[in-house]
Amino acid sequence: MLEHAQGEPITPTRVVVIGAGGFVGGAIVRRLTRDGVPVHGLTRKEVDLLADGAADRLAAALAADDSVVFVSALAPARTPAMLVQNLRMAEAVGQAVAARPVAHVVYVSSDAVYADDANPVTERSSCQPSSLHGMMHAARELMLRTDVKAPLAILRPSLLYGARDPHNGYGPNRFRRLAEKGEPITLFGEGEEQRDHVFIDDVSQLAALVLAHRSRGILNIATGASTSFRDIAQKVVALAGSKSEIRGTPRQNPITHRHFDIADCLKAFPKFRYTPLNDGLARAMQPE
Amino acid sequence: MTSPVIGFAGLTHLGLVSAVGTASKGFRVVGYDADGARVRDIAAGRMPVVEPGLDDMARKFSKNLSYTDRLGDLGACDIVYVSTDVPTNERGESDLAVIGGLVAKVIPALGPHSLLVILCQVPPGFTRGLPLPSERLFYQVETLVFGRAVERATQPERFIVGCADPQRPLPAPFGALLGAFGCPILPMRYESAELAKIAINCCLVASVSVANTLAELSERIGADWNEIAPALRLDRRIGAYSYLAPGLGIAGGNLERDLATVLKLSEAAGSEASVIAAFVRNSRHRKDWALRVVHREVLTRKPDATFGVLGLAYKENTHSTKNSPSLELIQHLTSWPIRVYDPVVPASAAPHPAVTAAATPLEAARDADALMIMTPWPEFRAVSPRALADTMAGRVVIDPFRVLEPAAAQAAGLSHFVLGTSSGSLG
Repeated sequence: MLEHAQGEPITPTRVVVIGAGGFVGGAIVRRLTRDGVPVHGLTRKEVDLLADGAADRLAAALAADDSVVFVSALAPARTPAMLVQNLRMAEAVGQAVAARPVAHVVYVSSDAVYADDANPVTERSSCQPSSLHGMMHAARELMLRTDVKAPLAILRPSLLYGARDPHNGYGPNRFRRLAEKGEPITLFGEGEEQRDHVFIDDVSQLAALVLAHRSRGILNIATGASTSFRDIAQKVVALAGSKSEIRGTPRQNPITHRHFDIADCLKAFPKFRYTPLNDGLARAMQPE
Repeated sequence: MTSPVIGFAGLTHLGLVSAVGTASKGFRVVGYDADGARVRDIAAGRMPVVEPGLDDMARKFSKNLSYTDRLGDLGACDIVYVSTDVPTNERGESDLAVIGGLVAKVIPALGPHSLLVILCQVPPGFTRGLPLPSERLFYQVETLVFGRAVERATQPERFIVGCADPQRPLPAPFGALLGAFGCPILPMRYESAELAKIAINCCLVASVSVANTLAELSERIGADWNEIAPALRLDRRIGAYSYLAPGLGIAGGNLERDLATVLKLSEAAGSEASVIAAFVRNSRHRKDWALRVVHREVLTRKPDATFGVLGLAYKENTHSTKNSPSLELIQHLTSWPIRVYDPVVPASAAPHPAVTAAATPLEAARDADALMIMTPWPEFRAVSPRALADTMAGRVVIDPFRVLEPAAAQAAGLSHFVLGTSSGSLG
């Protein structure tokens, strides 16, 4: 559950986004810029978190009244080497904010930290990652809890989609690209698995709200409505006016679903509304 | 043997009802409370609690009843019950300082052969630790139910008595007292009796949690839990009186207190109690039912909605708003205008900066996009769904406790949302 240090929203003095070049970081920078919030975006070009002296360089870029959004990651972390690199990046950020305390830190984590059978997922569900990627985020959360003295907000998004997604993983992003090219969409099994798909603009809006309220605690980023991959494929094909075939395949793994109970979000930000799936998919298909 | 004199230390809801119930069986009863004003009110017939039948019974047996704020008056009693409230902290754990303090005062006031009986909710191990010879020290399970307390105090199903040696007969005065109620008496060791109280509540919670779990599933798969529950009640293994009505989580702090006690004891003892933790989790999930429905059915479609709320009290026929589902909901809707009506609780009790008080249920519903019926007051059953449909701007009625008749609500064109069925979304 989030607690707001500022009941009424206050524009942050400056927001430093670490990982501004990524899908989520870029969306947050654009959102804050549009809202008139002073933003300082850092990409690997400005501060390579894996380079020697990264913590010092990052600390030098920070001011006491900064709000820091840490979203940079080598994701998804599929190998032990990537896990270790991601932890080193978090170590550098932790050292920087320990040496140069800031006003607020927001960490963009993942719902991969939760146990696979945590249904419906809430902010109080057990963290029991079954993947290196989830373990990476869980470990980074703990590292930041240790190093960050300022209010710390941890955002745990579900699966994200949007026009600029670079991963092209199984789901709306890949389906959309295939549909636009008229190529077949291949499902795992019959695509029965239900997941909670979140439009990228919702992440940036929630991050902006968390910053404006200087919130601390944990917030899942999920719409509360889960949809099967087959339904997503059908929606995307229809929206694209595509003739892409949707193909099932023999099922290799048991069907699993993930649902969220988003009551905590309704309490923390009663006026925030998630983008309905159809609207989000349509917007993801518009050229920006 | 002359009839024993019975004392009650702590004229709480439990203590007062128990004292009057005992007097009704022909025993002389001394009711003690440190609060002199409370004692004077009770003596004058001004009862501090609302309980059907209590006032009449206290009047009828007044010659058997005396009330005092002098601790020494308990010295004349053969048996003294400790019947104070045991408050809970924010984690639902018992704060034993109050009962510990009262017991420490009562023991020196006892007659040399008098018995002490703990009648409050205490964790296993509490009674055995008290500084009184074990042959004079007992624990007795109470099963007070608000609104039915007199009936339960005068016609108990059984007495569960904790003692040092369950094989030894109860002391004669205690046996005479309990025997007057004509129900089974089950002596057992202190810890068993203390845990029996908790076990009763855990069984009730288990039933409610099953009902709440399957009510939610019913809502999502087109079943109606309200059709299922009566079928279960006809099963002898489940029982006609089982707790199967769906609710907004586990209502009332005492049940949650016992769950917290079991979790704490199990953690210390190393026993497996994850099912208890699951009851707590499920309760927390279901408490937000109305908030989720409000957002899903109203605010996603009309972000500038206005609301009417019927009921602020914790449950019907009480002034109490502690643990009120209505207040829990309203505190998360402070960004929207709300008009409220409750037969006894003033609108100012609502945790909302700009709540409007209504004089009638229909006035609360006037021009509202949605109406929430959050306390099942009997008078709300008389509200006509058609009149609601005429006065409301919207059609959504969120009625967890099924105060309105679903068929009538649907016939009036309302989208009626009740616990345990998905029919509202079809309305």
